[in-house]
Amino acid sequence: MSDPGVAEGMTASERAAFGEIADILVPQTEAMPSATGADVASRWIDVALSHRPDLRSAFGDALAALAGRGPDAVWTLAREAPEKFQALATLTAGAYYLNPEVRALVGYPGQTTRDFDDEVPSYSDLLEHVVSRGPRYRPTPR
Amino acid sequence: MTPPRHIDDAVDVIVIGAGASGSVAVRELARAGMSVVCLEQGEWTHRADFPGERPEWELVAQHRWHANPNVRAGPADYPINATDSDVDPLMYAGVGGSTVLYAANWVRFVPADFRVRTLDGVADDWPLTYEDLAPYYERTERDMAVSGLAGDPAYPPGAPPPLPPLPIGKIGRKGAQGLDRLGWHWWPGSNAIAARAYRGLQPCVRQGTCMTGCPHGAKASTDLTHWPDALHHGATLVTGARVREITVDRRGRATGALYVDRAGREHFQAGASVVVAANGVGTARLLLLSRSQLFPDGLANGSGLVGRRLMMHPFAAVIGHYDEPLESWMGPAGQTIQSMQFYETDTSRGFVRGAKWNILPTGGPLGVRWAEGDRPVGETWGSNFHEVVARGLGRSFQWGVMAEELPDEANRITLDATLTDSDGIPAPRVVYRTSANSQAILDYHVARVREAHEAAGAVAMTTRTMRDCGWHLLGTARMGEDPQSSVVDPWGRAHEVPNLYVIDGSIFVTSSAMNPTATIMALALRCVERIIDERRIHEDPR
Repeated sequence: MSDPGVAEGMTASERAAFGEIADILVPQTEAMPSATGADVASRWIDVALSHRPDLRSAFGDALAALAGRGPDAVWTLAREAPEKFQALATLTAGAYYLNPEVRALVGYPGQTTRDFDDEVPSYSDLLEHVVSRGPRYRPTPR
Repeated sequence: MTPPRHIDDAVDVIVIGAGASGSVAVRELARAGMSVVCLEQGEWTHRADFPGERPEWELVAQHRWHANPNVRAGPADYPINATDSDVDPLMYAGVGGSTVLYAANWVRFVPADFRVRTLDGVADDWPLTYEDLAPYYERTERDMAVSGLAGDPAYPPGAPPPLPPLPIGKIGRKGAQGLDRLGWHWWPGSNAIAARAYRGLQPCVRQGTCMTGCPHGAKASTDLTHWPDALHHGATLVTGARVREITVDRRGRATGALYVDRAGREHFQAGASVVVAANGVGTARLLLLSRSQLFPDGLANGSGLVGRRLMMHPFAAVIGHYDEPLESWMGPAGQTIQSMQFYETDTSRGFVRGAKWNILPTGGPLGVRWAEGDRPVGETWGSNFHEVVARGLGRSFQWGVMAEELPDEANRITLDATLTDSDGIPAPRVVYRTSANSQAILDYHVARVREAHEAAGAVAMTTRTMRDCGWHLLGTARMGEDPQSSVVDPWGRAHEVPNLYVIDGSIFVTSSAMNPTATIMALALRCVERIIDERRIHEDPR
């Protein structure tokens, strides 16, 4: 999809292995790319790891636990080693949605900013119903 | 060999903690001309550090900016043993305290919250009334740039907030339409977030990242609202100061505080009075740490209640999905609208007390996925991965339900036998179980909230409860008239130590079901003005 960027930290074979796992978690659909199709294994996982170094160890453990096992092993990992799976899953999803092209495809502009005017007149009719039902607090007993 | 101890210059008042209540105390004491030193274990948090404007916001929100100190594990944080607690305590260590990361929901208690025993026959009445606190609420609302709308029939009449309400947005409007169809109460959310430029705060721009710090300077955290004025009036702030003990003399009066700086050096700060403002966990921990011959069970703990009666608010989130775009990443977050339809006691429901509801946005793709976090892995990953985000992103919102927890002496803070912070000081241990009454409140309210979503047109719903909901740390040094059944008097002064004050959420008698910061700060203002008025500090005959 985009520039593969600079690979750091992981070997090519580790990236390939991670990519296979990531594509099980985030597969391709008609509308959306798979994890590897969105450069998760080649680029965005590095960005995600740079922001979550606390997960690096558990992420490595997850990949080690899945090495050489079949595609269903990731679901077994989720059951048997949820902490490792959580690190793997958090980084995979986090990396996927760091890709601006993915964000555009799901319609997420990011946390945008917007100025605003007074909205109260636009819903004051609804508030009148609330007010018309009268006070609903219990006063301090005397 | 004992390391050398640095002796700092004596002051009129030592304030321990620079958060919501400590900020109030320092500013008012400094304005009154007293010499004040505030000892704060954390540091300043700079606006540029807040991640809300960056693409990695949701990823780092789960760690570096997480509200759970055990997850965040920053250099200023102390660990908490919460293995025997249903709820994880949340807080932030730094100038401004937890107001740096809070959602800024700004709600007063209602009158009945101060008369729980009289009205509902459970727990205890407060030694003050809503009317006693109302003037302090009003002043604090001005200090904290509260944006809201006057006239809410859930409250007695009073002065309007200083700023107009923030937009309720598409999600607030959708929720309000549902409640309107049911004939249920709602009101625009009241938030300590500036709707307009106000006293140095910038206007809100609805970025929706309030709970990881406001990068725009619109949210009223006390590092912005109180500390500039406090420093201008001569207060001294010592950051990186982890207090390990409040010392006493032979007569049982507080003499000062021992603290460790970030270089590991121990200091003694002498003061004529000591004000503790370290939150419902940290304050209890410090009092329990401050054991001596006169106070073998902890300072001011003759009642045995220091650390007991901990109250945190059990919380449930009901996320509704809608078949229309709602821009549900837009702020405030913050609350867009709130409802108190079922807040007051109705015993026909099978429980006493109630819950407050408020609407929050669901954020970006990771926030939407979080909402589905309780579902089996196979339902949210693999072939279902994209469907989760497609269904919820921009098309969902959360009704949050916050239930009142009643005081129970078994729910408590103690000192852990083995766990310590990075300075070797014993860490707090939390024992906390959600009561059957609170669970009944949550169950009932979740069912009603689901009806509210249905009435608003939701096509699907997900309900989540979570451990990470202990934002509100209350009750561990309760106030009262009777020294046998309370730790401090109605103005925060310790019954047993006449120059020691506690002014944070620890002194709450009951928890209400409200976000407590408005009451914490109003109460702190009331307490500190009493200290100033009586000039108790000058009565110290040392």
